[in-house]
Amino acid sequence: MKRLIELSINGEHYELALNSQVTLLEILRDHLGLTGTKEGCGTGECGSCTVLADGKPILSCLTLAAECQGMAITTIEGLSEENVLTPVQETFLEKGAVQCGFCTPGMVLSVTALLHKNNNPTETDIRKALEGNLCRCTGYNKIIEAVNEVVQRSSCHAHEENQT
Amino acid sequence: MTELDYVGKRVLRKDGPEKVTGRALYTADIHLPGTLVGRILRSPHPHARIVNVDTSRARGVPGVKAIITGQDTHGAMHGFVETPRYPPDQHCLALDRVRYVGEEVAAVAATDEYAAEEALRLIDVEYEPLPAVFDPFEAMEPGAPEIHPRHPKISDPFPNIAGKTESSWGNVEEGFAHSDYVTEGRFESHLRTHGYLEPQCTLASVEPSGKLNVWTSSQGPFIKRAKLARALRLPQSTVRVHKAYVGGAFGGKIDLFAHEYCACLLSMKAGRPVLIVASREEIFSVYRHGQPLWTEVKTGVKKDGTIVAQQFKVVNSCGAYRGSGVVVIFLTWGFAMLPYRVANLKWDGYAVYTNNPVRCPQRGHGAPQLRFAVESQLDMIAQELGLDPIEIRLKNARQPGEELPNGDNVHNCGLPECVQKAAEHTRFRETHAENRSRASSTDRYRRGIGIGVSAYFSGSLIYPNSSSVVVKMNDDGTVTVLTGSMDIGQGAETIVSQIVAEELKIPVNEIEVIAGDTETTPVDIGSWISGHAYVSGNAAREAGGQVREKLLQIAADEMEANVKDLIVDDKSVYVVGSPDRRLTYSQLVAASIRKNRGEPISAEGHWRTMRDEPVHPSLATTKGRWSENYAFDAQVAEVEVDTETGLVRLLRAVTAHDCGFPINPLLVEGQVDGQVSMALGHAFMEQVVMKEGRTVNPNWLDYHMPCIHNVAVSQHVEVITEQYQVGKPYRTKEVGEGLVSGILAAIANAVYNAVGVRLHSTPFTPEKILRGLGKIK
Repeated sequence: MKRLIELSINGEHYELALNSQVTLLEILRDHLGLTGTKEGCGTGECGSCTVLADGKPILSCLTLAAECQGMAITTIEGLSEENVLTPVQETFLEKGAVQCGFCTPGMVLSVTALLHKNNNPTETDIRKALEGNLCRCTGYNKIIEAVNEVVQRSSCHAHEENQT
Repeated sequence: MTELDYVGKRVLRKDGPEKVTGRALYTADIHLPGTLVGRILRSPHPHARIVNVDTSRARGVPGVKAIITGQDTHGAMHGFVETPRYPPDQHCLALDRVRYVGEEVAAVAATDEYAAEEALRLIDVEYEPLPAVFDPFEAMEPGAPEIHPRHPKISDPFPNIAGKTESSWGNVEEGFAHSDYVTEGRFESHLRTHGYLEPQCTLASVEPSGKLNVWTSSQGPFIKRAKLARALRLPQSTVRVHKAYVGGAFGGKIDLFAHEYCACLLSMKAGRPVLIVASREEIFSVYRHGQPLWTEVKTGVKKDGTIVAQQFKVVNSCGAYRGSGVVVIFLTWGFAMLPYRVANLKWDGYAVYTNNPVRCPQRGHGAPQLRFAVESQLDMIAQELGLDPIEIRLKNARQPGEELPNGDNVHNCGLPECVQKAAEHTRFRETHAENRSRASSTDRYRRGIGIGVSAYFSGSLIYPNSSSVVVKMNDDGTVTVLTGSMDIGQGAETIVSQIVAEELKIPVNEIEVIAGDTETTPVDIGSWISGHAYVSGNAAREAGGQVREKLLQIAADEMEANVKDLIVDDKSVYVVGSPDRRLTYSQLVAASIRKNRGEPISAEGHWRTMRDEPVHPSLATTKGRWSENYAFDAQVAEVEVDTETGLVRLLRAVTAHDCGFPINPLLVEGQVDGQVSMALGHAFMEQVVMKEGRTVNPNWLDYHMPCIHNVAVSQHVEVITEQYQVGKPYRTKEVGEGLVSGILAAIANAVYNAVGVRLHSTPFTPEKILRGLGKIK
C-alpha cells in the first residue's frame, strides 16, 4: 500500500508515493539521487547516514520517510551553497580530518548540529556529539582538532565583530 | 639546490572538496538505468558435499532475471596467490563442496531486493555434511578431517597444510650453544577485521558489444581487471574497471571476491547492470578478515644483549582456502629479519587449512603479530640481563648501509635514530625506571611506558609490478596527469600531483588528475603493496621531469638561450639574470606545436618496483630479493592500568618513524594516527568471535571498534633520511601499514612496566590483567 508523503529536503518540497516501510535513507539515495548520505551498516551503528531533522542529527537508515513529514531535512548536499564550503567543511579539509571520506558527510553534519546548538563546546561536548559517528581512517585525532579549530575561529570572529 | 615548493608541504588533499560536500561518488552511488539487485546464496555448513542445486523454483519468481551456480562458472578458480607451487584453490562459486559457513553457492539478479531474496529462499541445495575442523593445531593432527587433498610439495606429515615457508641463515644450534642466555616463548594473536566504513560492493554493466564495465570498491583497478578477466575467461581488453571513490580498505579489498565475480557474470547473463552491495553482517561473518598467528620464538643472547640466534615457528589458520595465508608466513619471516641483526636464524612457517572463512591481508599483514612476540620477548630478556629496553634495542638495531641476509640493503636506515628520538621525546629511561620502582605500589591506577620497534617493506614484485604516469601540458599552461593510482583515503592522487607540481613548478590546484581507470590511465601497482609513493611517485617524477626537459628545450630554441641558463618558475621559463626574457608554459606549448610537427608536450614516466630483480622472492624458501626500500620505526606507548577492573587505557603514543622523505607531512600524520587507533583497537577492543565456523558478533555493537571516546594522544617524531631533488630519483619509504606494529608491542611492554603482568596473547583484556595480578583465577 503506497501513501503520499510530503518531505522538505534541503529547502525543496517533494511529494512522493511510498510504501510505509521505506526509510529516509532509501528515499534520499535511491529516489532523489542524494547519494552524499552514506550507508555503512544499515542498522544504526556507524553514523554514516546521519542527516539533520530540524537541525538535530538523526540516523536516516533507522528513520522511516513517513516520520519525516513536517520536518526540515538537511543532507550534506544542502550544507554548502553556491559552491562555498562552510567553516566546518573547510576546517575538516585544512586539518586533515578527511581521509577516505565515507564517514565525512555524517561527521560534518553532526559537528554542524553541535555548533548550532552550542557555539563554545568543551572537548567532552565534542566527543559526546560525535560518539555515534565511526571513522576508521583518522583515529579521530584530527577530527577533534578540526572541531576545536572551527570553534576557535568562530569565537575570534565573534570577538572581532563585537569590537567593531 | 632548488627550493622545494610542493613536496614536503602540507598540501590539502585534491579530493577533499568533493568529499566534504558529499559529491564524491563511491561505487554504490553510481546509478545506471535498469540496474538489477544482486544477492548471494551462502553455505550454512562449515564443511559439506553439495549433492544437488535446484534453481527451478527460484526462476519462477517474478522479477528474477538471472541465476548462476557453480555449474555456470566452467570450473573457474582463483587464489590470492597463483603460482605453480600454490595454484588457485578456490572455485568462483562452489561446485561440489563447501568448506566454510558463508561460502558462495549461487547468486541471483532481480528487479528489486525482495524478488532477489525470495529467489534465494527458493533455491534448493541438498548438502551432505562432512566433519569439520576449526583449530589449526587440531587440523594438523593425524586423522583430522581433510579439507583439501594433501599439498604435494610439502614434506611435513601433518594434514591440512596449505603452505610452508622455510628459511635459515647461519647455524642456529651453534648460535644457541654460544649464547649466554636462551629463552623461549609462545605468543598468540586473535581474529580482527578491517572495519572499512564503505561496504564491499560492485556494479557490473555489460554492453551489447560484450564490453564489461566494472565499478568496484578496491585497492587497485589493474589487479582486479587481471583477476576478473581470468576468472570470467575474458580477454583483459574486454574488462574495464572504472574509478570510484573507495571508503577505506586496509588490505580487505585486494583479493578477487565472489560478489565481484557474481555481479559480472550475472550482468553478462541478464544483459543489464547488476549491483551487489555486501551487508555489514555478511562482511563481519563471511568476508575475509586478518590472520591470527601463533608464534613460538626462541632467542639466544650474549650478556650484553647482542642477539646471537633466533628460531621461529609460526602457525597461521588460513581458513578454508589459501587466501593470503601462505603470504603471511613468508612476510612475517621478513618482519623478523628487518629491524635487528640476528647472526643465526631459523624459520618455519605453516599455513593451515581450517573450516573458517578465508583470510586476507590486513594493514601490517602479519607484522603486528610478529613484532608483538619479538618485542615482548626482548623486554623480558633485557630485564633478565639488567639492561634497559632502549639499550638492548640500540645494541641490535640495524645500522645504515647494512646488507640484509636476503641480499637487500637497508640504505639510510633510520632505526637507531628512531629509537633514540622516541626515547628522548618521552624521557623513556627515567620514566621506565620510576614506574619500575613503584612496582610494589598499592595505588589503584598505575602508569607504564613501553617501546616496540618495527620495519616494513616498500613495494615488492607482485603484478602489475610497475607504475606509469602520463603528464600532458594543456594549451593554457596547466597540466593533466593520468595515473592508475587508486586513492583509498591515503592521498595517492594528491602526492602524485605534488610530485608533478614540483617537477614543473606549477600549483597543485592547476593539475587535473585522471586516476584509477584501466582504460584511460596507465598501469599502476595499486594501493596495497606499500610501494605507491615510491613506485608511482617516481613514475610521476620521471614523466614530469621529461615534460620539464621538453619545455626547457623549446624555451632555449625560442629565446636563443642555453638550457643550463634557464629557470623554471611560476608556469614559465626565463633566462637567468633576465626575468623579463620569459615565456609562459602556454606560449611554449604553442611554440612546440608550431615547431615540433604538432607535439603538444606530454610524456610518460615509468618505474619498476625492483629495478634488477626478475621475480618476487620464493614464498617457500624466501630466496630472492624482496624490496628496495625499508621503512623503520620505534613507537612508545604510555598506559594507565586500573588494577581494580583490569582496564587499560592508552594515554599517549609516540611514533618516531623513518619514512624516507615525507611528500606530504599532513597525510603522513593521518596515516600514523590511523594506525595508532587501529593498534589501540587491536590491543584492547576488537575481536571477531567465532564458534564452530560461525561469527557470533557480526555487527559494530558487538565488535568494538574505537569510537571518539577511545582516542590516544598521538605524537609524531620525524626522522628524515632521504631528500627530494628535482630531476633525480628519490627513495621514499612506506608509511601506511608498518606503524600498527611497534605500538602494539609497546602497549604490551607498557602494561608490564605498570603492573608486572606479561601478556602472551592479544587482546589485552581486563580478565588477563586481573589474572596476572592474581586477583582472579
